[in-house]
Amino acid sequence: MEQLLSGYVVYSLSFLLIFISLATILHLQFSLTGIVNFGIVGFWALGMYSFSLLLLKLQIPFVPAVLLASFITGIVSWALGSIILNLDDQAVLVGTLAFATIIEYLATTEKWLTNGVMGLGTINMPFNFGRITLFVYFLIILVFMVLLMLYASKLKTSPYGRLLLSIKDNEILSQSLGKPTSHHKIIFFTFTSALIGFFGAMSAPLYSFIFPRMIGPGITFTIWIALMLGGRTKLFGGLIGVVATIGLFDYFIETVVPIPTEFAEMVPNVKFALYGLTLILILMFRPLGILGDKKKEVKR
Amino acid sequence: MTLSTFLSSAFVLGLLEAAPLVLAAVGFTLIFRLNGFVNVAYSENITLGAYFAVIFNSILGWNFYVSIIPAALLSGVLSVLTYLLIFRPAFKRGVGKTELIILSVGVSYLIRYGSRLIFGNNLFNFNFESTSYLSVFGIGVTNIQLTCIGLVIMISIGIYFFIYKTNYGEKMRALADNEELAMISGINPIKVSILIWFIAGTAGGLAGIFYGAFSFVSSSLGWNLILIIIMVSIVGGIGSIRGALMASAGVGIITSSVTLLSNSLYGEIVLLIIFIGILKLRKVRV
Repeated sequence: MEQLLSGYVVYSLSFLLIFISLATILHLQFSLTGIVNFGIVGFWALGMYSFSLLLLKLQIPFVPAVLLASFITGIVSWALGSIILNLDDQAVLVGTLAFATIIEYLATTEKWLTNGVMGLGTINMPFNFGRITLFVYFLIILVFMVLLMLYASKLKTSPYGRLLLSIKDNEILSQSLGKPTSHHKIIFFTFTSALIGFFGAMSAPLYSFIFPRMIGPGITFTIWIALMLGGRTKLFGGLIGVVATIGLFDYFIETVVPIPTEFAEMVPNVKFALYGLTLILILMFRPLGILGDKKKEVKR
Repeated sequence: MTLSTFLSSAFVLGLLEAAPLVLAAVGFTLIFRLNGFVNVAYSENITLGAYFAVIFNSILGWNFYVSIIPAALLSGVLSVLTYLLIFRPAFKRGVGKTELIILSVGVSYLIRYGSRLIFGNNLFNFNFESTSYLSVFGIGVTNIQLTCIGLVIMISIGIYFFIYKTNYGEKMRALADNEELAMISGINPIKVSILIWFIAGTAGGLAGIFYGAFSFVSSSLGWNLILIIIMVSIVGGIGSIRGALMASAGVGIITSSVTLLSNSLYGEIVLLIIFIGILKLRKVRV
């Protein structure tokens, strides 16, 4: 039992929880407010790197470092949000994609700060309970994921959530009713992006060493594919989608299914090609994903 | 390095960098003008164009300049196939503009990793019969680079004349501006759309071949360029070939001068920051 708790399974599950949280945040940004965030990995990386730098270079303790890192991510996303959020969807999309690329390049070039491609580390767990350390950390992430889910489900029925929905459905109408839509969009974007930064900071101890290679655009697209597959309008869409993509491929197939070594290096290629195919099929035949209804429901 | 050598190096290297970018931006902008969405899958057109040329040149042993022709035509065909099999049915199903971009990301993933299954993760180089080194304003360039630039100029002028001076070009622009009106005037939208996607694909494939000729061919060739291509097309003004030309030259010169001073990644960072600024300033409807 103890071996199981400290082993690969708990480690994989912790990552799965992080990605489920990211997909749920994307659900809030995209399906509730209509923000097309194609730079998720940028905010995640910003949280992860600023947390690690605060912890390692400035010797700030774990909890304040996580909070500060989320705060820094929030400040940066507020600045980015005030520049691009009142433009149209396609501009937001390329703007956030450009932002994530800038972060990735900066992590590579600023060797004096991030060690460049050599990687930054070692980031230790904040506590040591012997063999169950990893399991306790997993439980902490689980608690935050559940809190996020609760927040998301409450938000949908709250007046504030309805305001955000109205921005997504018809921003001009919402403006004409006197709502400062642009302001709310920026605030909500800042808050949710800071949350992405928070989960980025929380994933740093799991990696223990962080490299610019880890923060490529692949993560953003994987999360998008997961959310689209699971059902972007549903609270559990992100969860189902992440389990069906990352859970199935990165953990189940790589650990359980016996793959001959000569094919092993082909597995990621097959995986991403299938991700692409899934995305095409979903958008063509079932645009609201596994959980979504075929017809848009009209609430009266 | 004196100021004058710095300026001339930045200028010559910048134009070298910009030459294939012009083609890619023109092709990208054609599809954008016609169908109104950011087609990320265009990056794979660029990559596969280079791969097709690798097949003819490095594997079958054809002359480089001869193998350009079938490779470019094949990438045009590929572009038409993605249009007919994926994007046209998607338009008919009423997939929204943002969803179309996500769809094109899916197409891009499928083609990129699918082609990696065939070509592996290897890097390919083209075989040139003879390479000689020349000097332009004191900057060393190869005869291949000069020939490629010559070809890019010729092809760009060709596309320009096709779009602005021929009957078909006029139909294309009519369809892009107002589909219903164009149909009433007796323009067959499918025929013209296929033609645009073919030309765009050919231009993208050629861009990939020239990029490959300047360095090497890998499966992420097009993907690494797509953000810059989107940027050039938006900054140059969607659908404007002259704009794409100017913006590509500007991008090339900025990148090469920053690269000469420090790191090539800084060049891209500077470009992306300028790009976000321009998005804001022009309030562009991308």
